[in-house]
Amino acid sequence: MNVAQQLVNGVIIGHAYALVAVGWTLLLGAARLVNFGHGQMYMIGAFVAWWVMAATGLPYPVAVVAAVLLGAVLGAVMQRLFLRLTLSQDLVSLMIVTLGFGQALEGAAGLAFGPKPQTLASPFQEMSVHLGPVWFTVQDAILVSATILVFAGLYLALHRSWLGAAVRMVAEDPRLTTLGGLRVSRIYMGIFAFEGAAVAFAAALVAPRTPILTSMGFDQVVMTFVVVVLGGIGSVLGSYVAGLGIGLFTALFGALVSPAYTTAAVFALLIAAMVLRPGALSASGSFAR
Amino acid sequence: MTHSLARLALAAFLAALGFLLPTLLGGSTLVYDTLVAIAIFAAMSYGLDVILSDLGEISLVHTAFFATGAYAAAILTVTYGFGAWTALAGAVLAALLLALVLGVITLRTREFAFSLVTYAAAVVCMNVASNWDFLGGSDGIVGIPPLDLSIGPIELTAGRSAEFWPFAYLLLLLTLYVVHRFRRSRLGQAALMVHMNPRLATMCGLDGNRIRLQVFLLSAVISAAAGWLYAFQRAYVGTDLFETYFLVLMLTGVILAGRRILLGPLLGTALLLSQKSFASLGAYGDKLVLGVVLVAVLCLCPRGLASLWPKVRGFTRRPAQSQSQSPAAADAAPTEIPAASTRHA
Repeated sequence: MNVAQQLVNGVIIGHAYALVAVGWTLLLGAARLVNFGHGQMYMIGAFVAWWVMAATGLPYPVAVVAAVLLGAVLGAVMQRLFLRLTLSQDLVSLMIVTLGFGQALEGAAGLAFGPKPQTLASPFQEMSVHLGPVWFTVQDAILVSATILVFAGLYLALHRSWLGAAVRMVAEDPRLTTLGGLRVSRIYMGIFAFEGAAVAFAAALVAPRTPILTSMGFDQVVMTFVVVVLGGIGSVLGSYVAGLGIGLFTALFGALVSPAYTTAAVFALLIAAMVLRPGALSASGSFAR
Repeated sequence: MTHSLARLALAAFLAALGFLLPTLLGGSTLVYDTLVAIAIFAAMSYGLDVILSDLGEISLVHTAFFATGAYAAAILTVTYGFGAWTALAGAVLAALLLALVLGVITLRTREFAFSLVTYAAAVVCMNVASNWDFLGGSDGIVGIPPLDLSIGPIELTAGRSAEFWPFAYLLLLLTLYVVHRFRRSRLGQAALMVHMNPRLATMCGLDGNRIRLQVFLLSAVISAAAGWLYAFQRAYVGTDLFETYFLVLMLTGVILAGRRILLGPLLGTALLLSQKSFASLGAYGDKLVLGVVLVAVLCLCPRGLASLWPKVRGFTRRPAQSQSQSPAAADAAPTEIPAASTRHA
């Protein structure tokens, strides 16, 4: 086994996990929303990017922008639908409603894009970089740098900007935020739109690695659930570290033990962590750290 | 006394009417197939209903119990050549075992954390089922023999849907009876108290964890029995049993009509599957409908369609009668899942 190559793969997969997770992390931290429709939003992002390229012939970067914009719109639609449940903090109903939302998105995407697998062709996927014993594609390099930029940007925005302070306040106590003269629903709108835009951005960058299917939502994003929960609810740095850790774990576990049981192993780890440290789920104080 | 007799007579009449329903609807293969599916999936949903309505938690692992029942039936009949009764015993035992493990693991988790842990458990089960050759791997297990429940000289076999109907219907009736008895039993009452007022339950000397575990075991058996029958009806089990579709179907079925209504999950499942059979919009369209129904119910009337009934009555009667709503509201109150007031606990 080429250990160095596995480590590089792990780092790349880890950044992919983290980037896919970032919007969900913010959503979970600020609105306590476990978005089981996240995978389907990822799928929509990938398909919109593909459709823009296939139907209009526009270049890949434009498709990325289009996917991000539509993702933000989708997030905003979600906020309109779920606002009442979000405000009443009916967490478990919120969780189920996102399952339904995901089903609806998958059905709609099937109707719109058909059952055939497609390829989101990024020109950077064809270019590879060889460094001694390891290699990776330019797409991978873009993915890793974009992830670091997004995380650094989000961290700074949450801690240094007025908007970030407002988001942290909503996460802490929505009612108090109202007393502070802020419109809570507007801030939620921003958070949901960020979730949609971020996952679409991640999809547009990650999806060129594999063929895309309208039914891929669950499989492609199931690991993100672990990243988000294991990282500590709503913790930005935590989900980056968790993404990287799980990326390395899957790469090494897949190479050394069994690629087939990687998902089971990661989820068993997650269950152990949640049961042994239930406090980690209650999230108070960990947000935005 | 006469009141309960009248109720019993009504229940018997409805049960008989239900049995004749496929004949009354024309008796075509499609009707039989649909009603068999409704009976089986409704029975499956009651497993979740017990957790959701009586324990106030949302389990996302019930597809795994359903699949456990189906897989146990498939392995025992196909791999080991046992009969359907042994397969039923195996399905129940396997589900009890899985539920015991999961129940102990999730014992200390509540609400949010409970749902997350059960979801993670469902993913592990699915991943194991699609890779373990003993469970058929990604191909699943094919060639499950026709259902044969003959006892001695009494011949009880079923192949086609029309023949299958009595068995599916009986399973449904049995499930309804068990859930009904459960709600009136000491365990059912205790579960409700543990859900509604854990401190009071502790003061009454109830062991909350023990009761939660018992209800969890019961619910697993209900869903597994439905899975057992489903395996025979479909003659094939595979990893598709774990798909989110079944989970969403179950959740929507339970929530659509309203929580803690005995016939609620049956009506919900019947509505959803009838649409799929008689007004299908294709596989994708049906998915879209299912998702939209779930979102609409939770966002527009979170207590289910039954909660609209007092409002409808309120429209048709004079406003002076509005007090008549209060018993209904009191009935509905325990069914509500308490909002997470422990947000920052």
